[in-house]
Amino acid sequence: MSTVSTKRQRLSSGLKVTQKVFVRSRNGGALKVVREHYLRDDIPCSSACCQECVDYYIPDPDGKLQTPVLSDSPLTIAAENIGKHYLLLDTNVVLNAIDMLESEMAFYDVIIPQTVLEEVRNKSYPIYLRIRSICKSDQKRFVVFHNEFKSSSYLPRDKGETINDYNDRLIRQCSKFYTNHLKEAGINIILLTSDKDNIAKAQKEGIISMALDNYVSLLPNAKELEDMLPSADNFSSNVNEIKYPEYYSSSRLMGGVKNGTLFQGIINISSYNFLEGQVSVQSLPKPLLILGRENLNRSFNGDSVVVEILPKDQWKKPTNLIIDEETINKNEVGDDDENEVVISDQERRLLAQEAVKAQGSVEEEEDKKIYPTGRVVGIMKRSWRLYVGQITPHSVNGAQAGGNASKSCFVILMDRSLPKIRIRTRRAKELAGKRIVIAVDSWQSNSKYPDGHFVRTLGDVESKDAEQEALLLEHDVEYRPFSKNVLDCLPKEGHDWKVPEDLKGGDEKLAKRRDLRDKLVCSIDPPGCVDIDDALHAVQLPNGNYEVGVHIADVGHFVPAGTALDQEGASRATSVYLVDKRIDMLPMLLGTDLCSLKPYVDRFAFSTIWELDQDANIVNVEFFKSVIKSREAFAYEQAQIRIDDKTKQDPLTQGMRHLLMLSKKLKQARMDAGALNLASPEVKVHMDSETSDPGDVEIKKLLDTNSLVEEFMLLANISVAKKIYEAFPQVAMLRRHAAPPSANFEVLNDMLRVKKGMHISLESSKALAASLDRCEDKNDPYFNTLLRIMATRCMMAAEYFPAGNFGYDEFRHYGLATEIYTHFTSPIRRYCDVVAHRQLAAAIGYEPLHQLHRDKAKMDLVVKNMNKRHRNAQFAGRASIEYYVGQVMKNNESSQEGYVIKVFSNGIVVLVPKFGVESLIKLETMGDVNSGVFNEELYKLSFKTKEGKMREVSVFDKVEVFVKSELDELTGKRKAQLSLK
Amino acid sequence: MSRLELYSPEGIRIDGRRFNELRQFTSQLNTHPNVSDGSSYVQQGNSKVICLVQGPMESLSNTNAGGASKLDHNGPILSININYPPFANNVRKKRMRNDRRLQELCVVLKRCFLKTIVSKNYARTVIEVNITVLSMDGGLLACCCNAITLALIDAGIALYDYVSAISIGLYNQIPLLDMNTLEENDLSFITIGVVGDSDKLNLVLCEDKLPLDNLEALISLGIEGCHRIKQLMDEQVRLVGTDLLSKKQ
Repeated sequence: MSTVSTKRQRLSSGLKVTQKVFVRSRNGGALKVVREHYLRDDIPCSSACCQECVDYYIPDPDGKLQTPVLSDSPLTIAAENIGKHYLLLDTNVVLNAIDMLESEMAFYDVIIPQTVLEEVRNKSYPIYLRIRSICKSDQKRFVVFHNEFKSSSYLPRDKGETINDYNDRLIRQCSKFYTNHLKEAGINIILLTSDKDNIAKAQKEGIISMALDNYVSLLPNAKELEDMLPSADNFSSNVNEIKYPEYYSSSRLMGGVKNGTLFQGIINISSYNFLEGQVSVQSLPKPLLILGRENLNRSFNGDSVVVEILPKDQWKKPTNLIIDEETINKNEVGDDDENEVVISDQERRLLAQEAVKAQGSVEEEEDKKIYPTGRVVGIMKRSWRLYVGQITPHSVNGAQAGGNASKSCFVILMDRSLPKIRIRTRRAKELAGKRIVIAVDSWQSNSKYPDGHFVRTLGDVESKDAEQEALLLEHDVEYRPFSKNVLDCLPKEGHDWKVPEDLKGGDEKLAKRRDLRDKLVCSIDPPGCVDIDDALHAVQLPNGNYEVGVHIADVGHFVPAGTALDQEGASRATSVYLVDKRIDMLPMLLGTDLCSLKPYVDRFAFSTIWELDQDANIVNVEFFKSVIKSREAFAYEQAQIRIDDKTKQDPLTQGMRHLLMLSKKLKQARMDAGALNLASPEVKVHMDSETSDPGDVEIKKLLDTNSLVEEFMLLANISVAKKIYEAFPQVAMLRRHAAPPSANFEVLNDMLRVKKGMHISLESSKALAASLDRCEDKNDPYFNTLLRIMATRCMMAAEYFPAGNFGYDEFRHYGLATEIYTHFTSPIRRYCDVVAHRQLAAAIGYEPLHQLHRDKAKMDLVVKNMNKRHRNAQFAGRASIEYYVGQVMKNNESSQEGYVIKVFSNGIVVLVPKFGVESLIKLETMGDVNSGVFNEELYKLSFKTKEGKMREVSVFDKVEVFVKSELDELTGKRKAQLSLK
Repeated sequence: MSRLELYSPEGIRIDGRRFNELRQFTSQLNTHPNVSDGSSYVQQGNSKVICLVQGPMESLSNTNAGGASKLDHNGPILSININYPPFANNVRKKRMRNDRRLQELCVVLKRCFLKTIVSKNYARTVIEVNITVLSMDGGLLACCCNAITLALIDAGIALYDYVSAISIGLYNQIPLLDMNTLEENDLSFITIGVVGDSDKLNLVLCEDKLPLDNLEALISLGIEGCHRIKQLMDEQVRLVGTDLLSKKQ
């Protein structure tokens, strides 16, 4: 229901105003929407060769003048008399081909009408953001033209015209305007749209218009680009491989969720079994189990889905089976031949086995282990992003026959919990054996696999650069170099920037800094560390107490809130450490030079100074910004040697001895309070310094000096957390670690009870720590560490949060056994610390807190991103180690000790502590598949080995395994492969 | 996250204006010569307001029985009342007579105009101002303030100078002049009233949180806007004035 009044009024300064009036009914009542719409002439066309619009470039509030974006010598196409041209895009092109628009191979000098931008924004906010960021960067020459505000390209809406028709008309009018406007300059306008109707109408009006694929075929590099075309709607409409149930209508979903018959949650597909997923629903105590292809109903890992609970007789328990997609659908080719396997028999058989087992268990009434099951009936939000994978070798073979025609083939993604993606390409042969990036377009209910399109190649499988880029892409890590407007925020002096000699002379902020250049400060870090966040000092005071100072790099000084640099930092949120590469959160200049507390030079710092008594109790604490001069940068080992060297009696060494003594007391106090000492199988990969090939794997060693630094950092973090919480009880940036729910430990405790007669108690972190200490196996010193590793996996993840989100009781950091905690000590590599710095600076009256960190809603967004990035960074780091360990193993096949940590009915999972790898060993590689008997109660799998002997394996068993590195043919991932000896 | 692009990187606002442009401003004086001593009509974009002034008179008019005892020996008693009918907003919504927000606005306006009226001339009198909002699309206080100025002038009450008011909002460090409803819903803003052509502020009201360091930029843009509005009002007053004069002769 809408009408538009067409009355235009001329205003004094060349403005005209019209009204947009429409009435919308909203649950019964009427909502009247009246909007003013000012029409103006002074909107520039942004073409560099246009003289008319020169006066229309008007400075923005910062005084910056806008400049023409579109080049005066755009791409020339000889065919069809097009010549020099700009492109004008329709909404459907932007929505479907955004990857192509982003690529550097084509699409320069593009005009996006405002009408299109608004439609895109309404349909997909992420794509809107992407198109905006293309417009922002100079190199692609994209420009947004506000056609609806320019009086010569505005059209009033006709009576009864649908909004889509009206928008199409506006877009055509916009192209018409440009065509006439740039006629003299000899530049044509091509309107790209995928709407046939629109093309016809445009051509009638004298506008050059074509579909995206037609245009691409005219380009010089058409062949490469064609693969990136989005898949057409009827990609494989003639095949009916499978019939997925249709999703419910959105109103039914909304209603169902509201009245409690349907449940919404995020689906988590098991990494061992791609046909099993779990949805955690808030209102149910146990997660809902989703079993089988049909019930999963086209959901991707991480999608936000709506599920319906199945009747109770279909409730089952989670499988103990390992199901790999490849083993089941190995021979499928992406071809749309009719003779394609519908559901492979093997898959059927597995499902049948499954059903029998579940039925059996129902009769035994093992109520405890039965999970409610459900099926997906709708998807609220797809988690689709760009994926990395490689084309299946089988589909390449199939393509060979077809010659150069475009063929569909499957891409296996690196993330094993996701299905294969079908793409269409002419270059299957070329792309085979390469890591490629693809995007998912759709998943029809009659297609077994989702359809996608090719985006770009990263390089050969197993080439270092390609693997690294793939890894970063898979974990959504921003790794591109910093953009120009970010780098513009750095100090102009570059590396020559210096701390002013005289603090009093300069501005008032400088005068507030304390001069600590006379203190004997030093830093202790891992060897080779260049981004030095923290430095320490300690002296004994005349009264016998100690003055201890922790000095943290003053990143806040160089990164003012709200700048482009700050935004980039906030969106990266953390530096990512890969084995041989570091992806910085802040530009190098800051991270490794200006902020870094390097020795022998003056640096700005944020200092925390305590007065500690003999037993390391805090007598007094003070925070202030300062200037320090570090006397020495030690590596952990160096520092240890210096402390142990009795001949050294200089004040700096003395200070370090004080620190060590106090840190031991702090640690003891923390342990007494119930801090956990958990373990993770962390290893370090040694690189050959010349060839930078990975040489050896080593388990990380811990020295006293490691914990020296750690203790004081913890102390600083806790003190700062208290202070900022006091000052900003709603938005203080804190970190919490929730107590693990007992359900997490159920399985582990049951295993312990059955196998070792031990128990982990969960009453408090202290009890947990004590019970972990008690769990020792006399014959096996490693058992305790193994248990700690497994216990770590049962823990909740620590998270950042603004103080207002939880009550004070819930601030607790379980692992560290402290009431309140934050991250303050590594602002160079974590964004949380930067925020904490700003809040602390505000709390001590150094400078006012920026709006960004005062607004709870904004803080929520920042924190959400931070938690996500932090997790991704961890995963990326681990994946990088995994990759390198695989490389190391290429040359080091050996037999090692391993521990069984999980038992399935057709395989076991073994952890090898020496390399920190864990891997699955399937039953078929160990022995006769049919002889396998799985005793669930005892976590025991017995089977007949290849030699015909009976063998039993159960959880916690120590086994000899042969470790070698194997290239997975399908995913192209090199991984440690274990086999039982 | 706003649904709308309130200020595009190209420097254009949601209704096509740039950051420092006013909405269409029209005003009229002496719209209700028979029922009031002074009256005015102000339109800023789609915000439309009528203002009627009674007085100066000896006691409060009929309904409000103030009584002579409450009269002030040093200046006038100014009573300001805002009438906000249900149809004025985009959704029909009835407001109580003692709507707190409106009452607060009345207090703010009262304080502002007590400083503007030459009060020594009006000791022991009452001036009653009634404002009716016909339609509202942002800038309620600014509209009311401008309408009162014009109505008081029309009523022949001595003022030191014009008070012209405008609202200014903040979008990521960028000040936006004369906000409409869509902008007001999403951004924090401040309303200021300026005395004549000076830089003196007679009225400041901020109902949201605003960072202190941006305030200066907001106010300086606001002052420019107010000066422009004062100019437009002055033109109108002179127009009406010459017209009246010609009729008398």
